[in-house]
Amino acid sequence: MDMLSAGKPNRRALLRAGLGATALIAAPSVLRAQTKELVVGGAAGHKPWVEQTVVPMFEKKYNCKVIFEGTRSLVNLEKMQKNKDKPYMSVVQMDDPVMILAVKEGLLEPLTPAKAPNMADLLPGSTHMDGMWANYLQPWLGVAYSKTAMKTAPSSWAEMFEPKYKGRIVIPSLQNTEGLPSLFVAGLLAGGTMESVQKDTDAGFKKLASLKPNLLTIYTQQPQAFNLLEQGEAWMIGPAMSSYALERKAAGAPIDLSAPKEGVFAMPSGIAVVKGSPQQELAFAYVNELLGAELQNKLAGPTFSIGTNKAVPKPEGLGADVKIHQIDWANVAAQRGDWIKRWDREMAI
Amino acid sequence: MNASRRLDPVLLLALPAVLYLAIVYGVPLMMLLGRSILVGGVPSLAPFIGFLSDPFSWTVIGNTLRIAVLVTLVCLLIGYPTALALARASGLAQALILVAIILPLSVGVVVKAFAWQIVLRRDGVVSQLMTGLGLWSEPQRLLFTEAGLVIGAANVFVPFMILPIYSVLKLVDPRLGEAAATLGASPLYRFFKVALPLSLPGIVTGIAFVFSMAASMYVIPNLLIGDRFQTLATLTGRSFLFMRNEQLGSTTAVVLLVLTVAVVVGSAALSKRLGGAS
Repeated sequence: MDMLSAGKPNRRALLRAGLGATALIAAPSVLRAQTKELVVGGAAGHKPWVEQTVVPMFEKKYNCKVIFEGTRSLVNLEKMQKNKDKPYMSVVQMDDPVMILAVKEGLLEPLTPAKAPNMADLLPGSTHMDGMWANYLQPWLGVAYSKTAMKTAPSSWAEMFEPKYKGRIVIPSLQNTEGLPSLFVAGLLAGGTMESVQKDTDAGFKKLASLKPNLLTIYTQQPQAFNLLEQGEAWMIGPAMSSYALERKAAGAPIDLSAPKEGVFAMPSGIAVVKGSPQQELAFAYVNELLGAELQNKLAGPTFSIGTNKAVPKPEGLGADVKIHQIDWANVAAQRGDWIKRWDREMAI
Repeated sequence: MNASRRLDPVLLLALPAVLYLAIVYGVPLMMLLGRSILVGGVPSLAPFIGFLSDPFSWTVIGNTLRIAVLVTLVCLLIGYPTALALARASGLAQALILVAIILPLSVGVVVKAFAWQIVLRRDGVVSQLMTGLGLWSEPQRLLFTEAGLVIGAANVFVPFMILPIYSVLKLVDPRLGEAAATLGASPLYRFFKVALPLSLPGIVTGIAFVFSMAASMYVIPNLLIGDRFQTLATLTGRSFLFMRNEQLGSTTAVVLLVLTVAVVVGSAALSKRLGGAS
């Protein structure tokens, strides 16, 4: 055909292009040789605050380069497992349930106060399984709602179940960590206590099934869900993460996050060092910085999270009297498989 | 056919493609197949028996097949007339139709799926049009419904129906239709007795293309219908990534593979028979 012969390059042009390409490929390796690189794996939603606040501070203080790979906790776990013999990620920021899996598969290097001194200043319950990982900032879960569609903020989780919201409610998949509390919320509404609903989810499942007529969708991708909320197609998302919802609100989206009277849930944001990974010293330094009051004070506000360092005050938007539920993640890890099975069968269209 | 049995040297030109596919497709496929039938290192059919004896699995298989069939049907209904128009058109008109079919292929599936999210909303274009025409009494939502998924998926796959049909129709001698006309055949009779039978090989190829793609699509259902609707492809992804159950993932992947291969091989055989019969 004509197209093939028309743009035929001559020998000189080819040579020039080849030289250019070689230079392009060669350049980064020259740069790489000069600075130390630390690869951090985390959630895609972490990218803004990691790259705007943590990375510049850390790179300057430790004279290195930080590469943040933002995906999902489970994708990170997959990467760690597949590269077990030759890890390239040094630090992971993942949710606690996934950390438990990583510990079971022997993928983490324990944190010690000697390597990360800030561990000493954390609130009780912030380190887990003999220091395999620690919690840094904990976003909280409430009900996100559209301010254009709803005149008043939902004051109870029960509002999502009201028939007038037919087809307007979005909930996270049980696949997503923030989706698990929906099961406990439903249990609480059915009359259980926080302790009982975590052990026995039967009442929770039955209550949750009554939400089906109201469901617009069950999401696995958080940004998609918030798009629907901001465009007015969805009216409520619950549970919704403060770190995402309030950031969108601050960016001018017509939404807000409410802390219902039954209480909010603390998200299990963990940080850990990958076993046998490169740049171990830098990795521990990175973890230490995120557990320190300096960074947490800087980040708690913008990420709308609860700090785990004792020196960090409670975030705005959460009244002093609001109940913050902590979830028993070891119990979750043990039962999650069965829950998913039941969820798949009972929550399908 | 009286072609010699000797290997045509031109066939060697396919060698790079064959090698490439063997490495990037054949080897992983063998690994997948192996993993699906190995339980603790011993070959066993237990994973398949376990999967197929669960009623939920049949819901998933049903979902997969139903959506694939519906998407294929919609693509055929839209695609055939388009292919016919394309084959009959000439000059600028033909170029425009071709561009209209091929250009959208350059837009990523994710972008298209997000666009459909806007179109299929309760206050979206489709809903407004239907209420405006008086066909719907009130605005309705198509997003996150099976209908919405079929519409969105058909949009992505329709070129793969049009192009094979077009390439067959293009080869049909237009004088055949004229000859039938001079013998007194009505346009409808000419279509069903002349044009349609001659284009059957193209239709079968198009069906094989669209069906296999629709049965194995992953991103489109994820974005257009969400977690409440499982197909074999989404269940496979979820087994590997989320449930960390590689055994189940390999099993569902193999079931999906068997289904699509059956349809593709079946339609290829059908195409050969129909092509030979004409």
